[in-house]
Amino acid sequence: MKRLSDQTLYEILEVSVEAPPEEIERAYERARALYGPGSLATYTLMSTDEATLLNNRIEEAKAVLLDSDARGRYDERIGVRPRATPIPAPPAAQVHGAGTPWPPPASPAATPVPEAAITSSTAAGASPSASPAGPAPMALQTPIALQTPIATPLPASLPAAAPSDLPASPAEAEAGEPPAVPTPASPGTAALTPSPAAPVTPAASAPGGAPIPLKHELSAPKDLLVPEGAAWTGEMLRQVRTARGLTLPQISERTKVTRHHLENIEGERFAALPAPVYLRGILMSLARELRLDGQKVSRSFLERMAAALAASPKK
Amino acid sequence: MADAPILKLVQVVEEPQAPALVSARAPGRARKAVPRAKRILSVGGGKGGIGKSLISANLGIALARKGKRVVLVDADLGGANLHTTLGIEPPRRTLSDFIDRRIDDIEEVLTATGVENLSLISGALDHLEAATPKHAQKMRLLRHVQALDVDYAILDLGAGTHTNVLDFFLISDHGVLVLVPEPTAVENAYRFVKAAFWRRMRNVAQLYGYDPLLRQVMEGTSFKSPVDLVATVAERDPEAGANLARQLAQFRPRLVVNQARTPQDAEIGLAVVAAWRKYFGLEMDYLGAIEYDDEMWRAVRLRRPLLVARPEVAAGRAFELIADRLLAMDSPERAPEPP
Repeated sequence: MKRLSDQTLYEILEVSVEAPPEEIERAYERARALYGPGSLATYTLMSTDEATLLNNRIEEAKAVLLDSDARGRYDERIGVRPRATPIPAPPAAQVHGAGTPWPPPASPAATPVPEAAITSSTAAGASPSASPAGPAPMALQTPIALQTPIATPLPASLPAAAPSDLPASPAEAEAGEPPAVPTPASPGTAALTPSPAAPVTPAASAPGGAPIPLKHELSAPKDLLVPEGAAWTGEMLRQVRTARGLTLPQISERTKVTRHHLENIEGERFAALPAPVYLRGILMSLARELRLDGQKVSRSFLERMAAALAASPKK
Repeated sequence: MADAPILKLVQVVEEPQAPALVSARAPGRARKAVPRAKRILSVGGGKGGIGKSLISANLGIALARKGKRVVLVDADLGGANLHTTLGIEPPRRTLSDFIDRRIDDIEEVLTATGVENLSLISGALDHLEAATPKHAQKMRLLRHVQALDVDYAILDLGAGTHTNVLDFFLISDHGVLVLVPEPTAVENAYRFVKAAFWRRMRNVAQLYGYDPLLRQVMEGTSFKSPVDLVATVAERDPEAGANLARQLAQFRPRLVVNQARTPQDAEIGLAVVAAWRKYFGLEMDYLGAIEYDDEMWRAVRLRRPLLVARPEVAAGRAFELIADRLLAMDSPERAPEPP
């Protein structure tokens, strides 16, 4: 899942970085037919802005990728290794049966530093003036510092979660592997360290910033200061509970949630827990008893659970 | 498909603690005792007259002939006519009896269709007020449909983008989107599938408490597309963005192009899948195209389903193919059975 402005020109045309000029030409024609004005298949699909952006980027892709000098410079900028010899392109996208993606998903081309730096929010492709009519890829801004590496977890984790009913293309499969590494929640790990994936941005912590009383109330055991934005693990909930001098049966009695569920929450036995929609209510009740922000606790815990279950192999 | 907790829209049991939001479990998870995974398939598409009922009926017949036990549910509560496409009289008992609680068990509404393994729950309604069931009535209906002891329950949805229609579509294992290659139908299909998508987004946001975050993102920036929206969320909160993307990836409609008159018409389906991926960053499965066929029209006039009257025509074979693809999706380890 990448924004149009963040996709490489190869991804815009959905061709591999190895694609020979003829294939790029074909892909361009296909893209024009599909996304250009008058296309039935995309009628009313996109907003006018988005359609304009996409069409500008398609033109840009043609201009750059069909000019070998410009393409070479572009490849260098996005980190594509130079092509020694033109490698035969993967079979051109033809009409296959159902389920065969068409056009095939552009191979991500192993460019960990995609165009984010180039066309980032300044959206070089958005204004027609910025897209070079001729072989002048330098109309794109020169690469600045990578400003938006943040978007990376998103596209990575998507294919992993997508149901793989149909044969995934190798590219998708590849892309699907790595995200398993950063995401898996490791139950029982140091609960009190702020999760690295949850940076404390004012934006993220501003709404419903209720855990402020927490620090105050939990002053007794000082190691229970909960960093803003930390992930709420089962272990952390257990510590807060014990710090408050509450036992599981007491909580169970007050919340009417079976002790069994409470134990599984604290032990993070995700597979044994009820479906998220029920669990959320349970977590809210539990948080209320612990005088924590139910929204944050439930959200954080449900996210950990979703990530862990997505990462664990099928049962 | 049990690798991620799948959020669905309808509760299986009453749950006072849960918010107004609705959800059900994945069939495979919730009912481990039942060896066979039950599937709910709904057929929608936004526009009227694009063949939803005919597709439901013929797909039901095709699946039944492959040995699956199928129930057709006429969920077009305001304009039920599925019985007519099957050539049977308006059944004595219909969903209105169930919705009005004159009967308790939906199984009592089951009507034989004359096709082995296939029965019908008719939606033909006597009372207008039952055409727009209240939320609780809708939930009860869905619970009972989920509990039917069949392999496939096929819901024939009404036109439009009413929340009733969207919720039926969203709880389904296979939400089939019907598209006719005409601008009006394309427009309505996109409106329908976008409405379903945003409803799912809203449900996910409520469940995980992303409402404030989403509101902030949608106010603060002029996002252009769903991909843009999710990316912006991810910039502010990577965890939330990743989870949002994961939950939304479960939204995976199955596309059927109906009334294809030319080979280019059939390719529209592939183009829609590609464009949907590019714009929404999500997948759609193309089940195939059904040729425009006068035999179809004749069959309707005779009040006989095409697969009963003329199974050998091109459109009839298309239904067989679509049924095979659905079966293949439901058992990835097994190749589609030869027709």
